[in-house]
Amino acid sequence: MALKGIDIFKLTPKTNCKDCGQPTCMAFAMKVAQGTVQIEQCPHMSPEALDALGEATAPPMKSFKVGAGGEEYALGGETVLFRHEKTFVSKPLFAVSTSPDEIDATIIGVCKIDYERISERMCVELVYIEYAGDKVAFAEAAKKAAAANRTLVLATSDADAAKEALAVAAEGKPILNGANPSNFEAFAALATEHGVALGVTADDLDSLHDTVQAIEKAGVKDILIDVGAASIKDAFAKAVQVRRAALKSGDRSLGYPSIVNVAALAPGDAHMQTALASVFILKYGSVIVMDGMSYAQALPLYGLRQNIFTDPQKPMTVEVGVYPINGADQNSICALTVDFALTYFIISGEIERSGVPVNLLIPDAGGYSVLTAWAAGKLSAGSIAKFIKEADIESKIQNRNLLIPGKVAVLKGELEENLPDWNIVVAPNEAVSLVKFLKELEC
Amino acid sequence: MKKLFDRVFDGADEMYALAEKAIAETVSELGESAPLSMPNTAYHLANHLSYIKKQITTVGELKDAFEEVKAWNEHGQNLSAVFRTGFGTFMAAEAIEACKYAKSDDPYEGKYHGHLSDAEVRELGVPLVTNDIPGFVVIYGKAPSDEEAVSIIKGYQTRGIFVFLLGEIIEQARRLDMNMGFPVRVVAVGPDIWQVAHIISFVNRAAMIFGAVQPGDRYELDEYTFWRIHAFVNVYEPVSDIVVACGGGAIAMGFPVITNDENDMWAVPKSLIIQKTTEDFIETSLEARDIKLKITNVDIPVAFSSAFEGEIVRKADMRIDYDGSRFDSFEFVRMTEAHEIEDHSIEIIGPDIDETPEGERLGIGIIVDVAGKNMVKDFEPVFERNFHNFINCAEGVMHTGQRDIIRIRVSKTAFDAGFRLKHIGEILYAKIMSEYDTVVDKCSVKIYTKPDDLKELRKMVNETYDARDARLLSLTDESVDVFYNCILCQSFSPSHVCIVTPERLGLCGAVSWLDAKATNQLNPQGPCQVVTRERVIDPEIGIWEDVNENVFASSHGNLESVSLYSIMVDPMTSCGCFECICGIEPYSNGVVIVNREHIGITPLGMTFPEMASMTGGGVQTPGFMGHGKHFIASKKFMKAEGGSQRIVWMPKALKDMVASKLNATAKELYGIEAFTDMIGDETVAEDPDALMEFLADKGHPALGMEPMF
Amino acid sequence: MAFKKDPQVFGAKITEVAFGADGASAVFGGGNTLPLYSFDAETRHRPLVGIEFSDKGPDRSLPGLAEFYEGADSLTDVAARACMAQGADFVSLVLESADPNGDDIPSEDAAALAKEAAKAAAGSGKPIVIQGTGNVDKDQELIPKIAEALQGMSALLLSAKEENYKGIAVAAVTAYGQKIGAESSVDINLAKQLNVLIAQMGIQPADYVMNLGTAAAGYGFEYIASTIERVKLAALSQNDDALQMPVITPVALDAWSVKEAVVSEEDFPEWGPREERGVQMEISTAAAALAAGSDAVILRHPASVKTVSELVTALV
Repeated sequence: MALKGIDIFKLTPKTNCKDCGQPTCMAFAMKVAQGTVQIEQCPHMSPEALDALGEATAPPMKSFKVGAGGEEYALGGETVLFRHEKTFVSKPLFAVSTSPDEIDATIIGVCKIDYERISERMCVELVYIEYAGDKVAFAEAAKKAAAANRTLVLATSDADAAKEALAVAAEGKPILNGANPSNFEAFAALATEHGVALGVTADDLDSLHDTVQAIEKAGVKDILIDVGAASIKDAFAKAVQVRRAALKSGDRSLGYPSIVNVAALAPGDAHMQTALASVFILKYGSVIVMDGMSYAQALPLYGLRQNIFTDPQKPMTVEVGVYPINGADQNSICALTVDFALTYFIISGEIERSGVPVNLLIPDAGGYSVLTAWAAGKLSAGSIAKFIKEADIESKIQNRNLLIPGKVAVLKGELEENLPDWNIVVAPNEAVSLVKFLKELEC
Repeated sequence: MKKLFDRVFDGADEMYALAEKAIAETVSELGESAPLSMPNTAYHLANHLSYIKKQITTVGELKDAFEEVKAWNEHGQNLSAVFRTGFGTFMAAEAIEACKYAKSDDPYEGKYHGHLSDAEVRELGVPLVTNDIPGFVVIYGKAPSDEEAVSIIKGYQTRGIFVFLLGEIIEQARRLDMNMGFPVRVVAVGPDIWQVAHIISFVNRAAMIFGAVQPGDRYELDEYTFWRIHAFVNVYEPVSDIVVACGGGAIAMGFPVITNDENDMWAVPKSLIIQKTTEDFIETSLEARDIKLKITNVDIPVAFSSAFEGEIVRKADMRIDYDGSRFDSFEFVRMTEAHEIEDHSIEIIGPDIDETPEGERLGIGIIVDVAGKNMVKDFEPVFERNFHNFINCAEGVMHTGQRDIIRIRVSKTAFDAGFRLKHIGEILYAKIMSEYDTVVDKCSVKIYTKPDDLKELRKMVNETYDARDARLLSLTDESVDVFYNCILCQSFSPSHVCIVTPERLGLCGAVSWLDAKATNQLNPQGPCQVVTRERVIDPEIGIWEDVNENVFASSHGNLESVSLYSIMVDPMTSCGCFECICGIEPYSNGVVIVNREHIGITPLGMTFPEMASMTGGGVQTPGFMGHGKHFIASKKFMKAEGGSQRIVWMPKALKDMVASKLNATAKELYGIEAFTDMIGDETVAEDPDALMEFLADKGHPALGMEPMF
Repeated sequence: MAFKKDPQVFGAKITEVAFGADGASAVFGGGNTLPLYSFDAETRHRPLVGIEFSDKGPDRSLPGLAEFYEGADSLTDVAARACMAQGADFVSLVLESADPNGDDIPSEDAAALAKEAAKAAAGSGKPIVIQGTGNVDKDQELIPKIAEALQGMSALLLSAKEENYKGIAVAAVTAYGQKIGAESSVDINLAKQLNVLIAQMGIQPADYVMNLGTAAAGYGFEYIASTIERVKLAALSQNDDALQMPVITPVALDAWSVKEAVVSEEDFPEWGPREERGVQMEISTAAAALAAGSDAVILRHPASVKTVSELVTALV
């Protein structure tokens, strides 16, 4: 149970010294409770207070980073089993699996998928290199992949092979995946020595549990649990039970992110790999390993991941501005909606389907849907008029017809006063009616 | 005068005799083994099946069953015997009709409808069950004139009531070329009273299909026909005994009979009604059967849609300006008794728009009278507040304000299209009857425009406004039996629930206890549900076992306990649309309150958005709580921690807004005069030290109180 | 310390709903664990996978789809061919031409098409789900007509919404013995309210299912996922009997309407062939809907149907 702000406040010096950067101790305590400020920011906390807080605020699931430089990614740190309870915090990372023989082709393929969607970079974050018996080739492949600015997963249960690869690639903070009940001592030593995260696997949950505890004891802090490739059913069961034990039953020995190798679960079947990856995006996959990543797979998978890992209280937004659709130019009509990503996608999709050239105007509406933005005062005649002025719409577009969402028809009169040169047209209440409406519109 | 019971029994005897004769003839003509069935039905002779569980398939079986049917005509001198006789009469009538169908599939050769197929039962049954057809009428006999016959049928038709015709009225309607048939919802069933069996067969099959009533289950059948089949009967004089016998059966099913025949007729309240004025049959009938008509369209000459809500009528375009800021004006909803209202009456008292020069400014008063069995006075202001939304939806009409500060403008375009004052009445009538149909049965509108009337009436309505305000003030949490919850915000804050009490309105400031109550009654499945508060755990902190149970269920398991009067112990959660947030200020033992509009920092070292991010989303954060502005002056405001005397800081604008009420509360509870003068604001302090200095200077009561934690 | 197994088996369960006639029927629901958690307890009925086709025929510009439906020209042929899709538990007709924003054919004609498809499906041993137009006014008239035309087939008819549930529920279920879907728009409370209202019309729990709303992956799917998850948790952990109906999610329409599945390869050469994009989009969306807790999904492409059905087989 997380500590309440008030309880943290009691442990602060209550001097309002501002050394932590916050104006008051109360503000500091509330933000620590919220997780936006670290307790260490306060230089005046007593050791007893810090101990008390450390135990109470320790998360049920470990959070750590892999990769280095511009390719650093957070894993773990989840506190809930369902995203509506709070937020999922660390999005799963995608890896493409390869062997030293195929490394060049893999890197070319991986680098093809790199695009932006709603302010998020979409790419294959990790390259998963599987040891194939040749230690030199393994290390060589690791070097190549690191040079392509991709974080590595070194997959081998051979400690010697791991050692050689780490010697050339440890700097990039790769994941070493290969510890198991029979080799964990050597792997734990390697992971500690190179300061890399260690992936561990075992046939059943009992031995997995024991092995993780032994690795923890050996001093490894950053651990991943590989749910294995015995069967789809077994991998899913492990992924769910491990996460549930950590978050629901408070079993900290299983409070680690997971590795799910769907390439091994459905070899050669891209469709099944997409299906499995989708399931594991919802159900507790942290590193998802695929055979390859085509655009046809990336488009839905990254979209799904972006959806599931949004903060339920902070909706996704699109950038404020003018979006010409269907080849709209300065003589095409304008339509306005909010910057809430979902609304934008639905409206722009319907406009596209209509084939009518439209300049879609997106003002800052706080990321809310139309009615909510209106109710919260984020979408008013004043704010729309201000946007039109600040974005300099009147000099960019000559057409003076402005469609507003039917749900805020109430703004029409005020808008006409604020924008005297414009003809304000009320569009339908529902997006589904938009295609017909636009086709029949005479402006 | 012949007793009503005896008329039923004599009439039944007549029907039985006719049936016996028809059966005998059919047996001799076709033989007992001849098949006998109604066309296109899986329910055999549905009346026989329903009442005596007999599946009749041959003439012989009909003959045998008739012996059993005879036992239903027992002439006992009590009501249940009369009702049984009525049903027996329907079976006898069905026997007569069945004999015709034994001889021919189409005995009426298209001239009359006769038997209804199962498909027709389903087609008509669905809208009857869903209330899309509000009911059906059976009209028997001969109307005073052919014209009146057509007029009553059309009267029912326009009200959406399905019409079954029996007897001479069919010929009357035909003489005037009335269009009849299933699609136009007027069915000429047959020329004689015994064809009533087909209508009863329809009812019985509907009960079996839609009500899953089992054959032979009289109790369930009666329940179903009474509650679910909104039917009634109109009979023109003279009414013979055989018709009275059928009427007995109809009444037994819960279908009232309305007639203009006084001879040997005994009025029975709600069941057998004598209405001498046949032109009033429709209204009398609808009232007797409690049938409410659905109003779907607003009958005005301009468009009506929410798209016109925000339209502004400017001076240059305006035909008339009813301006409550300069002339006595008001709008007012008044609950009255049903008999005092003539439904849908719209009266204009004073000059109409076309009797007023263009561009004129003057006053207007609107009084809407409503009545309904479930109506309560507390709904008056709820309806009234919606006038604004209703009237604004008319194209070319603008409405602002409420109560006695309203303004209504009508544009020239709307006027040229024919818009007059009565159309404001039409709008209000249609919207009130459709939006509030669960509580309003009748509604009428009066619109006043003469200055003298307005002056007088404004005084009257002001008294009511004052009385309503006083009632709101007198409502306390202790004086009501139940609270309400509100889950309107769960679409974006899935685990939040507001508990709304008389002294604690929803934290958004928009939902008072009365609003929640009205929302619940108007839409019982909607976002506001009743919360009982019977099992108290702690009345000071405001914890009830049943309130907690409700919070647990309606937050879908996310919250286990909520206190209504504390900000420290399980404070109520927030969705994020709170008007204000209060948070503890530890150095003064007090609380700081900040409203959404305030952009500066508070002495807590946090701004409104920062505090909002900790308080919203349905999480309990002891020491912090979202609430409505009006809650600040409530006697229940953090009552558990000592109440509003803990308030040490508020933005100035907020302080000014709540000052008079808060000061009154502080005076009453703590004997403090001008309490708000002791409360800091951004002009004296934005940090804790300056605030403490100010509070010490003023001798603020919080400084001497126990720390809150 | 060994791993402490803590299976999550609930006292409550999802209602079982069966549809279809003898020899061509399917059952879903009945589970007392979270969806697909077959490690907690045996799964009562596996989630169902359906294949949909339009009364206007398949999109033959997609080579794979054209090949699958090759030679199937009449609606009867198309329906029978759909029944042959590997892994399909049921088929689903979309009455595209009844849409008032499209051809707007009369309800009687649309009902006749529904009957033709339903007969063909029954002949091939598969139950049918009929999808209306989604337009509340048209469906209010259309679905009762379909219900009448399909008497005795116990088809599942989608959907009844808050605005039109009365007539649809009474006509389809009470008068003609069909099953219906109750469609609400991505909100647990709206879903519950509609279920309660339908129950008040005398409709039994075994006679209707829920459609909680749909969206393609990447297009606000988080709302769908969270709504389904919350509904399942309320149904199971709180025994909320107004939310225990199985959930059906028709993903095809959304999946095939988003930009990723619509734009041509000429315009976006690096994205590759359109058909593959649509297939992957519906696979991903359907798999995610099942992971969230949907008890049935409806897909369009036989390749997607095959994969998603194999996924279900592998998991339960």
